[in-house]
Amino acid sequence: MKLYLYGIIDSSDQVKDSIYGLEGACVYNIPYCDIGAVISECTEPVQNNTKGNVLAHEEVVERLMGHFTVLPVRFHTVFDGRDNLLSMMQSYYKDFRDNLNRLRDKVEFGIKVIWPSDKIKEHITNTYKKNDKKVSVPGNSSNKRFMREKFEKYKLDEEFEKKADKFINVMDMFFSKFAAEKKLKKLKTEDLLLDVVYLVKKDDQDNFREAFEHIKGPHTSFKFLFSGPWPAYNFVILPKNSDLLEDSKQEDLFDKVVQHQELAGAEKI
Amino acid sequence: MTLNSVIETDFPEEFVEEMEKSQDALPEKIDANPENVEKGLAKLVLTLIELIRKLLEKQAMRRVEADSLSEEEIERVGETLMKLENKMKELKQIFGLKDEELNLNLGPLGDLM
Repeated sequence: MKLYLYGIIDSSDQVKDSIYGLEGACVYNIPYCDIGAVISECTEPVQNNTKGNVLAHEEVVERLMGHFTVLPVRFHTVFDGRDNLLSMMQSYYKDFRDNLNRLRDKVEFGIKVIWPSDKIKEHITNTYKKNDKKVSVPGNSSNKRFMREKFEKYKLDEEFEKKADKFINVMDMFFSKFAAEKKLKKLKTEDLLLDVVYLVKKDDQDNFREAFEHIKGPHTSFKFLFSGPWPAYNFVILPKNSDLLEDSKQEDLFDKVVQHQELAGAEKI
Repeated sequence: MTLNSVIETDFPEEFVEEMEKSQDALPEKIDANPENVEKGLAKLVLTLIELIRKLLEKQAMRRVEADSLSEEEIERVGETLMKLENKMKELKQIFGLKDEELNLNLGPLGDLM
């Protein structure tokens, strides 16, 4: 019997609600000490990454979130029987417990911001030309022209980064007030100024959302995406030297489930 | 539909496009298998050379900014960097690699470049 794993929860009690997961199978908890692995049984290999299956997985995790602290596991994590699952639980019990304690009563929110990079660059170039009339690299040989172009690009990139940092610092200052942890990526592409996930206490959700609206208001030329509350997909930490990582089948157990989030809430966002 | 989670944006297409671009640029693994081992290795080696080239270029720009290069040195550095850049273009063309492919995701450390 194959067991499809949805997440680890901070309880050894049975799930009280009737929850149905992939293939319409009943979802239940397999306890280990004071925690549990929430699974459903599956007989056939689960079809990978169909939208229906991803949504079903996500829905189970979200239903669990209503009652427990959940460590959501990667979509398509299947164990070959109860013994294998319990053996994994035994190996990782302490790590799971630590994560469950850290993530208790917290949820994840994602924010992405696109800025008008072309206009920003144009503005920087115009300012640079106006303020810095002195030729940075004098001379007209091809080598010197090459160096001049490179230097101008270097200055442009430097200013571009400074501007990005400035905007990000302002935004992050507002959001961080209500966040316990964050994972922030700056300029993943020239246009994608900010891609950040925050871990927020459930009690602070409304404040966090208000902070977002506050930031969004005046930045009319920026484009925003707000998502959540999600299970803490991006904040589960497992030690690199943990045994789990040596087992190739389970290596990606807690990998980021970005795609999963994407499919769960919208087509590919 | 999910139960509580929402995704709010007035610009879904733009975000999809940017996320796709950022994922294309950052392969998590070097794609090396018997069919394309040459390209896989070339990608790894060229990524490292590109990193060194960029570091050299940045260092040169810092020295220009600090005005610590003589005209003769600027000439020589310019020639070196130009040749290096041209050679890289050639190699990328030979192995069918694009600029954005020359990067590595170093997991928690972020991206190489």
